[in-house]
Amino acid sequence: MKLKLFAAILAGKTVFWLSRLRGNKGTSLPGLVARKFYGDSLRVLAAQVRKEIIVVSGTNGKTTTCNMIVGMLMDAGYDTIANREGANMITGVTTSFILSADMGGNIDCDYAVLEVDEASMPKVLAEVTPSVVVLTNFFRDQLDRYWELDKIIRVIRDALSTLKRATLVLNADDPLVSQFSDNKLLPSVFYGLGKHQRCIKTNSQTREAKFCPYCGEQLIYDYFHYGQLGKYRCPNCYFERPDPFVEVLETVTTKKGMECRLIYDNKDVLLNIRARGLYNVYNAMAALSVGLRLGVDVDIVLESLGKYRTVTGRMESYVYHDKPAFLILVKNPTGFNEAIATLAAAEGAKDVFIAINDNEADGLDISWLWDVDFELLGEESSSYLCFICSGQRGEEIALRLKYAGIPPGKITIDRNIKTAIGNALSGRAGSTYLFTTYTALWPVHKIIKRLATEEIADDQCLSSVSGLAESVRRPR
Amino acid sequence: MINVCHLYPDLLNLYGDRGNIIAVKRRCQWRGIPVSVLEVSLNDDVDFMEQDFVFIGGGSDREQNLIAADLLKRKKELIKAIENGLVILAICGGYQLLGKYYLAGDGEKIPGLGIMDFYTRSGDKRLVGNVAVEIDIEGFKLKAAGFENHSGQTYLGNCKPLGKVLAGNGNNGKDGLEGARYKNVFCSYLHGPLLPKNARLTDYLINLAIKRRCMNIALDPLEADIEDQACLAMLGRLGFGKITN
Ligand SMILES: [Zn+2]
Repeated sequence: MKLKLFAAILAGKTVFWLSRLRGNKGTSLPGLVARKFYGDSLRVLAAQVRKEIIVVSGTNGKTTTCNMIVGMLMDAGYDTIANREGANMITGVTTSFILSADMGGNIDCDYAVLEVDEASMPKVLAEVTPSVVVLTNFFRDQLDRYWELDKIIRVIRDALSTLKRATLVLNADDPLVSQFSDNKLLPSVFYGLGKHQRCIKTNSQTREAKFCPYCGEQLIYDYFHYGQLGKYRCPNCYFERPDPFVEVLETVTTKKGMECRLIYDNKDVLLNIRARGLYNVYNAMAALSVGLRLGVDVDIVLESLGKYRTVTGRMESYVYHDKPAFLILVKNPTGFNEAIATLAAAEGAKDVFIAINDNEADGLDISWLWDVDFELLGEESSSYLCFICSGQRGEEIALRLKYAGIPPGKITIDRNIKTAIGNALSGRAGSTYLFTTYTALWPVHKIIKRLATEEIADDQCLSSVSGLAESVRRPR
Repeated sequence: MINVCHLYPDLLNLYGDRGNIIAVKRRCQWRGIPVSVLEVSLNDDVDFMEQDFVFIGGGSDREQNLIAADLLKRKKELIKAIENGLVILAICGGYQLLGKYYLAGDGEKIPGLGIMDFYTRSGDKRLVGNVAVEIDIEGFKLKAAGFENHSGQTYLGNCKPLGKVLAGNGNNGKDGLEGARYKNVFCSYLHGPLLPKNARLTDYLINLAIKRRCMNIALDPLEADIEDQACLAMLGRLGFGKITN
């Protein structure tokens, strides 16, 4: 076994360095190769984690929540392993352990914080035994990649039923998540957002969870936050939003992010986060709940969350000849809408670049572009000097913009990503915004890094953008 | 004034289906024709005779069943309007509902409205991917592009198809047919959404709606540069270089 593990680690690390040399991020290939050499690599390495393993799954906010948890554990002085952004299938999880192991096959860490794709939960939980499982929310994602929500939920249920001991950290506001507390073996801790200033009474955007998971009756909502998140109850049976252990009651948007009044365990504290959007309040609450469950000092938790910064690819700032440029990854309507809201709120004239690809990782189906509210840009089209559309589906995004009310004269289609970015950066507006889907991000990244200087911005936080997903459910 | 009616947007809105509404709305507005859009949900009042263009999209099983029940109550009225020439676009699940029945995987036969002569059976493999179709518009052959994602396989009885499959699966992946047409009812599996990048089809539907109102106005031609580019980009990828023959 030792020898096989050695071979697996050697092969995995070699593949990682080779792919790094070629400019790739090398996030799942090392794990894949290592598993070919030794199928039990992950099982054996994960078993060496000294304290606990935390798994985070759900549709949105996995990456941000994981990063927040890792941040607080490191601040509390613990050695922590985590998988890289996006590498959240079993190969990616394996990669993180392979890269952390020494050549003798030893792992030296207190905690492991793992972001796990919903569909990969059964495989990962078969090899890794977490003591905390966080479920953030369930929204529709591109369905040529994901299955029907009902099916995902069933799969996660089955995966969790194999655990003997673990705490579930659940979003109280999402009926699709809170229903998991019916697991008799595993205790649940809830976090949620209370009634605040901006709650909405009706929500036509709610596409899922209109129905009680137990009796099928249509749920009644007192208020919504967004999507199906809110205060709900079933008129027919006992199912309702559970009382959260961690609850944010008020939120105030500040220059650098948000200030939240947070109640936990009957204590009233102030939580600052350097990001905007309710999504990030949820991510912070999930992370805080995990911190409390692990017994991390609450002051360390709050301080750590207060300084949490966004990660690469979310919203990066650049400067091109004194002109600011922002690069934002978009993968689904909710995330794109958030990004557009940011764009619309920014002052001055803007040039815009959008690259849409339709490879497997982007989603083969790009119909979701029609669910994005580009009309917001069309209504204020004088603030935008040009829209340069690129990527494999540049024509489709150009079409979408035309039908959103943007004058066709402002729309250009340029399949050549290099000239397209060059023209967007050198446009006449005061700033440039670049949006790209997943597989277009890295080519765009390479080009922009060559043309512009990267800036570590202070209050440009938009960590929610790429982590969000709300798009489509499967028709029959 | 064109009255557009969007059926069950709160329950059926998959794959950017609302793009079809946007397309009709914009192409009327650009010609100076005012448009009103009525969103209708379960139990809402609607007089189909008053409508000019009705759109119904697709959903997953649970929504489909609720909607079938709601539509059944409106069946008589709907048939009357259809016979009167009401223009309807039904996509995916909405398409299936207009047929005789849906045969589920467990053998259960879920009745449809029976307005058109076709049935759908659940298939073991999802039909997913980009599609090119040739649609016959009054003798004029038009190539359209879209994206399909359905597990139901539809078989037409005494009913015309919307078009012939050039690439992709269409109704069932076997007989080379896509969609269905009866009077001014157009059914299709194509998302994409269907209308925006197939602007000639959109204009045809608008024309039919206007004709039914006996408004003898010819539609002003509109440039469709970006529309055609978007359609051609996909047609080209699937091996077809021209929109019309
Ligand atoms: Zn109930």
